[in-house]
Amino acid sequence: MCPHTSLKQQFLKKWIMGLQRCSFSKKNMSILERKKTIKLSADIAMASARNGTTRWSRALISNASKDGSDNRLVQQILGPDSNTPAVATTTNKARTRRASVCKKIVKRSHQIRRRRRKCVAAAPVKAVTSSISKHLVRKRTQVLKTLIPGGEFMDEICLIEETLDYITSLRVQVDVMRSVASACFSQS
Amino acid sequence: MSSRRSRSRQSSGSRITDDQIIDLVSKLQQLIPELRGRRSDKVSASKVLQETCNYIRNLHRQVDGLSDRLSQLLASTDTDSDQAAVIRSLLME
Repeated sequence: MCPHTSLKQQFLKKWIMGLQRCSFSKKNMSILERKKTIKLSADIAMASARNGTTRWSRALISNASKDGSDNRLVQQILGPDSNTPAVATTTNKARTRRASVCKKIVKRSHQIRRRRRKCVAAAPVKAVTSSISKHLVRKRTQVLKTLIPGGEFMDEICLIEETLDYITSLRVQVDVMRSVASACFSQS
Repeated sequence: MSSRRSRSRQSSGSRITDDQIIDLVSKLQQLIPELRGRRSDKVSASKVLQETCNYIRNLHRQVDGLSDRLSQLLASTDTDSDQAAVIRSLLME
């Protein structure tokens, strides 16, 4: 359990530091602004706890930085940490990677279409059930790609690996936020 | 970490083996509370993926709800000392 609790503490520290950098307690914010700040700093804390080692964390930070209205807030939260130059280079790399991944996807889909035509000609019943399950897996993989930040550019193996890490991080985020909320509630 | 990176580099060049995918899908199944008890050969890959998507959406919703709650709670407590005490107690755990 030791690495898990240290991850929680790391997330908590980064989150609180991010909130302090936005001078959270001093400003008079509306409830919506406050909620946005809390959520954004929590997401960025979760992503920066990975130190750029996973793709979803880099994609999350770069997506948040791209959004014009939130960009200043994101820079504030990230603070003097030198994560920002890495963000710029990863977007360029992501673009060239995206181009090569797109070509691979097109090539692979042509191959699969050719293979499917051969399969259907040979053994109809088995091919139908296996193609249905393959279709379902493909459909669900597409949905998963929309849920994981930066998922559209990943292949299957990478996607599942990133999902495993993303789920663990999300759980930590929920646990810490829940314990802070219950502690605040018991205080007031 | 480096082993994971080298494995993904290999798979992007060569064919993706079924064993790799089966291994990853079973790991995913262990993480999802709904499917944790069941035997891995009884749960299909599409079911694991579907439950994964549902679980992630559920976690997103929880984060959203907790941000709502926290924004209301922190608006009412004005003193910094309260919040500092909360944070200190959590860091001690």
